[in-house]
Amino acid sequence: MPGERPYTDSVVVTQTVRAVVPFVVTYGVFTMLHGTKSVGGGFQGGVVVAAGVVTLAFAFGVTQTRAALNPGTLATVAAGGLLLFAAVATTSLALGGGFLDAGTYARLPVSGAAVYAVELVEIGIGLTVASVVSFAFFTLARAEP
Amino acid sequence: MTPAPALLVAALLVLVLGTAVVVATARDVLVATVVFGAYSLGLAILWVVFRAPDVGLTEAAVGAGVTTSLFLVAIAKTAPPTGDVAFSLRWSPRALLVGSGVVLVLGASLPALPAVGDPGAPAFGEGAAAAFYLADTARFGIDNVVTAVLVVYRGFDTFGEIAVVFAAGVAVLLVLPGREVS
Repeated sequence: MPGERPYTDSVVVTQTVRAVVPFVVTYGVFTMLHGTKSVGGGFQGGVVVAAGVVTLAFAFGVTQTRAALNPGTLATVAAGGLLLFAAVATTSLALGGGFLDAGTYARLPVSGAAVYAVELVEIGIGLTVASVVSFAFFTLARAEP
Repeated sequence: MTPAPALLVAALLVLVLGTAVVVATARDVLVATVVFGAYSLGLAILWVVFRAPDVGLTEAAVGAGVTTSLFLVAIAKTAPPTGDVAFSLRWSPRALLVGSGVVLVLGASLPALPAVGDPGAPAFGEGAAAAFYLADTARFGIDNVVTAVLVVYRGFDTFGEIAVVFAAGVAVLLVLPGREVS
């Protein structure tokens, strides 16, 4: 069963993962935030961040990684992402527009307000996707056979 | 729009088909899982060649990355197969019938589709949604039309999708309570 002991004997794996994961997570966050300008979006970025977490778990052990990323925290982040999306969707109602109406934000006197609103939605999507995928991985890894 | 290089597409299709056959016939699920990751990678490159980089990125991250790791932790709880046979194929007549039926029906609908990148395709025609999306997106200052469609025009669907992802997390927690590993 992988992850029940740290693979400290393989220096190549741990050092490579140590070097690569910051770039993977950075690329995931970039993908999340840059979806309005180029390829990407919250879903893709969130999955890339989760892939970074999973890579950490494979290199340093599931138990150790799960100790650093508490499942309770992950569940809170997942709910927070969904609530962030809902907040953006309903704020346009408060501003006099329709539910999830980006046009309402575009009429604000702030330059590029609609882009910021969409990026907030992408962050919400990314938070939920990244935490649910990591959460599913940790839960499956520790489940009884 | 330049057509996709035929040789590259042919090579990728051979890779995808070859890995699919290996996945279907390998007896060791560990072998099947790793080859399935290669299958997803081939598909991801194919999406990029067909100018769908958003789909390609998702396929690479979900198919080759996350799904493979989820399969791996699931396989870790199973016993490896016994015996020396690496590949085997057991036909189930019913599965063969259903599988070939689906392939036949889908294949029969292929000639009705427009060619890849055909500007005369219904999606790009007069009064079609695609033309409206392309023209209207500039109003919001969003350059990636795919993101604009997902969040601005189809935002309600996307909201539902994220609710489904969250519900999937809740379902995982309910179905796999597990035990704390001491």
